[in-house]
Amino acid sequence: MKLTLLVQLSWRNLWRHRRRTVILLTTICVAVGSVLVLNALLRGMQMSMVETAIDNLNGHFKVLAPGYLDDPGITKSFELEPSGIPGLSAEGIRGWAPRVRVPAVIRSERETRGVQFVGIVPGSEDISFLGDVDVDGEYLSGPDDRRILLGHALAEQLETGVGRRVVLITQGADGGNRESGYRVAGVYDAVGTGIEKAFVFTGLATVQDLLSVDAVTEVSVRLTEEARGPSVLGDLTNTFDGLDVRTWQDLEPQAAMMHEMADATVSIWFLIVMGALIFGLVNTLVTAVMERIRELGMLRAIGMRRGAVIAQVVIESMITMVIGISTGVVLGLLGFAWLAEGIDLSAFAEGLELTGLRPELVPQLWAQDVFLVVVLSLVLGFLASIYPAHRAVRVQPLDAMRR
Amino acid sequence: MSDLVVECRRVTRVYGDDGVAVRALQGVDFRVAKGEWAALAGPSGSGKSTLLHLVGGLDRPTDGTVVVDGEQLNDLSESQLSDLRLRKVGFVFQAYNLVPVLSAVENVEFIMQLQGVEPAQRRERALSVLDQLGLSDIGERRPGELSGGQQQRVAVARAIVTEPVLLLADEPSANLDSATTLELLALLRAINEERGVTIVTATHDPIVMGHASRRVLLRDGRIESDEVMSSPAWHA
Ligand SMILES: Nc1ncnc2c1ncn2[C@@H]1O[C@H](COP(=O)(O)OP(=O)(O)OP(=O)(O)O)[C@@H](O)[C@H]1O
Ligand SMILES: [Mg+2]
Repeated sequence: MKLTLLVQLSWRNLWRHRRRTVILLTTICVAVGSVLVLNALLRGMQMSMVETAIDNLNGHFKVLAPGYLDDPGITKSFELEPSGIPGLSAEGIRGWAPRVRVPAVIRSERETRGVQFVGIVPGSEDISFLGDVDVDGEYLSGPDDRRILLGHALAEQLETGVGRRVVLITQGADGGNRESGYRVAGVYDAVGTGIEKAFVFTGLATVQDLLSVDAVTEVSVRLTEEARGPSVLGDLTNTFDGLDVRTWQDLEPQAAMMHEMADATVSIWFLIVMGALIFGLVNTLVTAVMERIRELGMLRAIGMRRGAVIAQVVIESMITMVIGISTGVVLGLLGFAWLAEGIDLSAFAEGLELTGLRPELVPQLWAQDVFLVVVLSLVLGFLASIYPAHRAVRVQPLDAMRR
Repeated sequence: MSDLVVECRRVTRVYGDDGVAVRALQGVDFRVAKGEWAALAGPSGSGKSTLLHLVGGLDRPTDGTVVVDGEQLNDLSESQLSDLRLRKVGFVFQAYNLVPVLSAVENVEFIMQLQGVEPAQRRERALSVLDQLGLSDIGERRPGELSGGQQQRVAVARAIVTEPVLLLADEPSANLDSATTLELLALLRAINEERGVTIVTATHDPIVMGHASRRVLLRDGRIESDEVMSSPAWHA
């Protein structure tokens, strides 16, 4: 009952200076809205980067022979049971893809380039970018396909194309050179030219034949959802005893770092914007208290308790924040809805390819981010009222009569 | 003794203990019986307001004791004093008596809200007091929309709605013209006589002194004279 009194009083006091209050509320609204929109853009960027890192043949986890990363080659390989990954429950795993990946030299009539020669099971590659890649010509038909798939940028460098022949040279397990000619089945378009220049694909059995092995050099595993990570990682480590199980963060440390930086950027931006805002809020509240010194003194004189005076200022601050935050969330949602289709960044495509970003930025608004912004803003609103409340409660009852 | 509402014994109030000390009150003995209207008079700086504040629990004496309605104020904590003011004392100040963002009725209700009176009762009592003071038609207006005299009368309504044992008024007529002052005084008179509310006022205004039942003259922090008025001016 007493609280309704204080809420009513604070509410009316808030509108004593309509213009000042409207300006303050607008500021809070715009700040919260912009933080949410920026947040959504950063999340979109972050997730796009993660997707790209995972898509680029890494998966969430990759099983490798020990030492492969330091000295990649067919000597660092391992054999798979014909049935696939033994003893690994399918739960939490969206798919997995075995590959043989070896360094090689590709040669056309005109040019020679160093590449990664990768034998794949085409049907299993729906877990990587190959799953929905644009191909000129044909995609590989199966693990026994003896043709190759190469990237657009590489095809241009080699001055070759669909239907033409190229030669690949690599090193066998015995250290001797293996060389074979292949027909180009298709030319693919990847997000970055880096990928296009690096990877040449063919059937898994084709590479195994060339190298006279039954082994693979890697198995990529993709999760159904991020949260399954720890349990699947445990399963993989048990199943592939003696092999290395690496996360995408291990394999793409740069992307992992940018992923973490995006988190920090959101927090820093929030703190800067809210810090400025809270400064304004404190200022307004102190002004409001100073204007009301006589009234506060009178209220104290007729018997209002100190606690009620404090509560009055805190409530006023909280009402301001609640209105500002809720309109800010609405503004943020509107901004998000407006951008939800995605922002076309193809004008900057050249620069973006280096960062591994897709040319379209699709913002993502996470409930947990909205929740965090709302809760933190409320906490800040409360903190902002402490000093003004302290000023208010210092007013002595006699002040009402002296002035 | 039991019908004493105020009892000050050898009350001293010294302001500013460092440097020059101002002895606002010097060993004042002051009693007010139930139903009295005591007017504190005296030149500016004689200690009227100081004494009024001590009696109302707004300030503490440097020395001596203050008892209000049987409660020894020296023993009370800040919040106990606050509660005493809320429950036993009604205040009418010179100005700024009302909360600007509340209407007249709400201002009167407000103090009952602080006391925790039931909502239904609050409104009823507020309206009834305003009615008795002839203020029914301005109940919905905010203080900014009221004249000085109307504001002071609403303040009186606010002060008496809680039925305090003691009504304190410091220069209640300072901002009023003489006609409005007379209206206010008639109101206080009625409250004093009909409701038996004990009143202490501090004033320079001879008209106010004329309405009181007793005149206490202060000079330099001491009581110079204390006389019961045989025929208060309002009877004439
Ligand atoms: N807060 C204070 N600090 C220092 N001195 C004070 C304070 N309040 C009052 N005094 C001094 O105490 C003395 C008595 O003041 P008080 O306000 O009681 O006088 P008063 O009789 O009410 O005068 P007035 O008729 O002008 O209102 C004065 O000399 C005054 O200057
Ligand atoms: Mg005075």
